[in-house]
Amino acid sequence: MKKMTSVVGKRVPRVDALEKATGAAKYTADIHLPGMLFGKIKRSSYAHARIIHIDTSKAAQLPGVKAVLTWEDVPHTPHAGQPDPRASSLACDQYILAEKACFLGDGVAAVAAVSEDVAEDALDLITVDYEVLPAVFDAEQALQTGAPSIHGTDRNLVIPPVIIQSGDIELGFAEADFIFEGRYSTSRHVPAFMEPYVCVCRPEPGGKLTVWSSTQAPFMVRGSLSEVLGIPMNLIRVLSEHMGGGFGAKQDLYQLEYLTVLLAQRTARPVKMEYTRAETFVAGRSRHPVVVELKQGVKRDGTLTARQARFIANSGAYGSHGPGITWVGSQMLSSLHKCPNVQIEGLCVYTNAPIAGAFRGYGAPQAYFALETQMDEISEALGLDPIELRLRNQFQPGDIGPTGLPFESNQLAECLKRGAQLIGWQKRHPAGSTKEVLKRGIGVATELHAATAYPDTMEVASAVVVMNEDGTAQLRTGAADLGTGAKTVLAQIAAEELGLRYEDIRVIAGDTDIGPYDLGAYASRTTYIVGGAVLRAAAEVKKQVFARAAVKLAVSVEMLESDLGMVRVIDAPERVMSFRDVMKPVRGETPPIIMGHGIFAPPNDYSFAAQFVEVEVDTETGQTRLLQVVAVHDIGKAINPAGAEGQVEGGLHQGMGYALIEDMVVDPVTGKTLNANFVDYKLLTAQDMPEIKVDFIESGDSLGPFGAKGVAEDALCPTAPAVLNAIYNATGVRIKELPASAEKVLAAFQTREKEEISEPLLKGTFRDSNEIAN
Amino acid sequence: MKQIIHLVVNKEAIEIGVEPWWTLLDVLRDQLELTGAKKGCDRGDCGACTVLLDGRPVVSCTTLAVQSNGHSITTIEGLLSGSQPHPLQQAFVDYGAVQCGFCTPGMVMSAVALLDENPHPTENEVRAAIQGNLCRCTGYSKIVEAILSLAKA
Amino acid sequence: MHRFEYFAPETLPDAISLLHRYGSTARLIAGGTDLITALKERTEKPGYLINLAGISELCFIKYDHTYGLRIGAATTVREIEKSPLVQATFPVISSAASTLASIQIRNLATAAGNICRASPSADLPPALLALGASVRLAGLAGQRSVALVDFFTGPGKTVLQPDEILIEILVPPIKPCSGAIYIKHCPRRAMDLASIGIAAAITLEEGCCSEIGIAMGAVAPTPRRAHQAEAVLRSKPVTTGLIEQAAETAAFEASPISDVRASAAYRRQMVKVLVCRALQQAFELAQVKCL
Repeated sequence: MKKMTSVVGKRVPRVDALEKATGAAKYTADIHLPGMLFGKIKRSSYAHARIIHIDTSKAAQLPGVKAVLTWEDVPHTPHAGQPDPRASSLACDQYILAEKACFLGDGVAAVAAVSEDVAEDALDLITVDYEVLPAVFDAEQALQTGAPSIHGTDRNLVIPPVIIQSGDIELGFAEADFIFEGRYSTSRHVPAFMEPYVCVCRPEPGGKLTVWSSTQAPFMVRGSLSEVLGIPMNLIRVLSEHMGGGFGAKQDLYQLEYLTVLLAQRTARPVKMEYTRAETFVAGRSRHPVVVELKQGVKRDGTLTARQARFIANSGAYGSHGPGITWVGSQMLSSLHKCPNVQIEGLCVYTNAPIAGAFRGYGAPQAYFALETQMDEISEALGLDPIELRLRNQFQPGDIGPTGLPFESNQLAECLKRGAQLIGWQKRHPAGSTKEVLKRGIGVATELHAATAYPDTMEVASAVVVMNEDGTAQLRTGAADLGTGAKTVLAQIAAEELGLRYEDIRVIAGDTDIGPYDLGAYASRTTYIVGGAVLRAAAEVKKQVFARAAVKLAVSVEMLESDLGMVRVIDAPERVMSFRDVMKPVRGETPPIIMGHGIFAPPNDYSFAAQFVEVEVDTETGQTRLLQVVAVHDIGKAINPAGAEGQVEGGLHQGMGYALIEDMVVDPVTGKTLNANFVDYKLLTAQDMPEIKVDFIESGDSLGPFGAKGVAEDALCPTAPAVLNAIYNATGVRIKELPASAEKVLAAFQTREKEEISEPLLKGTFRDSNEIAN
Repeated sequence: MKQIIHLVVNKEAIEIGVEPWWTLLDVLRDQLELTGAKKGCDRGDCGACTVLLDGRPVVSCTTLAVQSNGHSITTIEGLLSGSQPHPLQQAFVDYGAVQCGFCTPGMVMSAVALLDENPHPTENEVRAAIQGNLCRCTGYSKIVEAILSLAKA
Repeated sequence: MHRFEYFAPETLPDAISLLHRYGSTARLIAGGTDLITALKERTEKPGYLINLAGISELCFIKYDHTYGLRIGAATTVREIEKSPLVQATFPVISSAASTLASIQIRNLATAAGNICRASPSADLPPALLALGASVRLAGLAGQRSVALVDFFTGPGKTVLQPDEILIEILVPPIKPCSGAIYIKHCPRRAMDLASIGIAAAITLEEGCCSEIGIAMGAVAPTPRRAHQAEAVLRSKPVTTGLIEQAAETAAFEASPISDVRASAAYRRQMVKVLVCRALQQAFELAQVKCL
């Protein structure tokens, strides 16, 4: 594994970049089929309301309307939006069309018509009589006795409380010299991929269905459609060749795909249903807003002795990935930085807000916002460098985390050291100490993230490699490429292992008829787990190719190696044969039929990162300008450095937006989403981005292919606390609520200016870090 | 009531009957099968639908097809010379500037317009030229590098 | 999308007669970037659209020392932004134009559209107001001029009569020793609507402020001048103390609301901060022009 690689580690162009750059790549919405109808969903205008009566007669009679569905026309069994085994991370509480709307925007009817305009007209003709019910939008309020009950569960909980415990928490606090407590809250962050949700279904003869979907997990779409609609899986083909981003939020079904299929079956015509951008906001998935109450005990030298926390996640109207996220968020809260005595309680709560679901990071960004902010508070109070505080509390390889999962490899110290150097850590001033109106500061935050969906889902992936008679090969994988470059990385792994050139491998992905089965592209698992399966499939094929080459070259197989399309005899460089010649069929013999199937079910592994941010805060307006970001990630091995950098750069964009300006605002009285558009839900533009430096630590000590681990989610997990810690360093103002909008920063700054600054206490309890002096 | 309009699309003269309320984007995608321009928001806020109207980048979702009557339009498909990609398209590939690719056609069109007007832009000018093109995957880093690589030529 | 009939008249009289014929069921369009969005949302439902972009006499940018700068109604915001003539005479207008949405929108949107839409947060009105601009309107009865400061009557409302079309924007000739600036306060460097928009224009004569315009956007039902703030500085030497006083006065003259973009309290605070900065910068620009 330590030898020089020819394809892995190289910046090869992505397999599909050219077709995307020329406009040739077809995404789901680009599909036009003869006779295609257009579907639209009528949405509730109340956040919590029972449907007393729904009248679709006028809509059905409108010329051009071919089908209208309400809850009475569709299967009425609750489902999880995902089949097993992945369903363990979700709640089983959704209906294809609800009888009771649980959020403002919940779909209550669907139509198919000859054009989108006619479909829109039809929606206006559907009348619904609602019994409006009291609604609740805040998670803590929803937990209270007397709060409106949304799905009839105890305290509006989606799952029983998640409890993570290790050691003795009371003892831990007793051992502490100082105790820190704080309340941290996060916003409604939206994935905001550029391609809205869309699905196309074409009914085929014999009850078969072809479904195109913008999905991260084609097999999951097939499985859920089969389970919910009662269609055998071998009659459903799901295709997802190109998608315009997902970031986690395109891996569970809610209403779109079932309705598209039902409308297609009902009309016996192809149906396309494309969400508008507003619907993508309101009826899609956002990141769980979470309140974390965090209390830690620490010794004078910075060693952590106790950590107690409550992680309260606002799930919105349905559970979706709430269970998984509450577990992962609570686990991450227990696991980052070694702490022997831990007690975490995770609560996942229903409210009548829009649905929260899976989104890159999956609970960790919220957990780390709280933890990495408080670590910064602790370092400030103790007079310790924030980097030093992390180093004093880090896990070593072999240590077991509080959830029982071991840490195999950990290069966090190296990430911190390198990042500090790249950002110029030594030029930091004491917090808020500069005199100018424009104040600069640097902040740091760290993270760890799994490269799998353990422990909820027992992880496995498979892949098939097929050799063609001319020495080129096909790689078949059920994994989807949501733009991450997964297909490219998998091709590189296959080529490296087999000894082919990158160009000789063609990847066929995202087609459930070709497969093989894959759980999906999420949890940063594709390189690690699917890559591992590809490696094993390629190794299988190499054995068979070498067996054939050994005959043609008249040597034993142990004497052979391969690289860049050539099979060579070791130590006899002139004895070489191209793959083309090895595979070439011989007249009079049976042709070579060579393929390999690989399966990989690895244990979990973690990636680590440290991110540093430099900001400039205008203390008269509260606006924060991002100057510089340094992200150093321990990823084991960068199979495609450009791809890995691209992941981090994109994650930073999302993380910085999360820190400063992104928040989907829900009206606290009506539950209406107030900014379901790109004017008021703000993504950083190219002119808003700071200078970015990305660096990788590649120790290669993971079980993944060529030592690779995950990177996709790590990219944004520490960014928000790093930004807010930088704001603190610049201004002396501690913001514990995302986003750190200009208004919030200004208000906090003006309050701080008025407050007296007290001397630091050497012993005692800090209730709220506002009491702590600088 | 459909109106007959005349457009030059990717150097080809087209006569087509359109309803007045059809956007240029919908006509390009649905009537002319030019699906390179994408519908990211349909409100002019993301730039994924950017095409060149008489050489100037516009959001085709926020202009009606009838407003383009008598004008010329270039889409991403029009940048190819036969099967040869435009140098900018190749640069996007070479620099890893394409991830999910949904913003790419619009992004390339804005960049083409920039380089036509200003062959030697600075980094700030490149970023200003793509201010109206949102990308959620790349953080813009490699997109800017790809465009700048042609600025030095 | 709402359905409608469409006309593309080639002359101004044709446009006016169409407008008269269809009355309140018609809407004018030149770029249409705001209107088309409203049609998609079905918040506007006109039966007829009248496109002015094909009327060549409405597309021009001219300057002379008698009338000043004249901009035709169908001139795009991008043309205004890039015009060497505008940059040479009133760079603040070019700068304000450059802050509007994105290049793609500016290649479609027109200055007249931005003004007639009468959004409280529009980007061109503050600078134009500070410069004392006026607009020329044409209707069945003939043409008339209206000072821009009298043009807006409420959010989305203007003095335009049902048969009138805004055909031209006029800015009085430049004066020596003048400087002007537009500060748009918003979270991003592009694509945003102003949370607060402040324009200031100062003309100096013998060290004193002989003419001053302070205009505010997004902090009142319409873009408006801060007359009382102006009075603090008019005919006085420009000092830091007076700038601050003017800024505080302007904050009183604002009547902001709270919305998803900003709270009223924050807006009012920012009026003071930004008027201060704008006056300082306009003053420095005016001084440079005096050298």
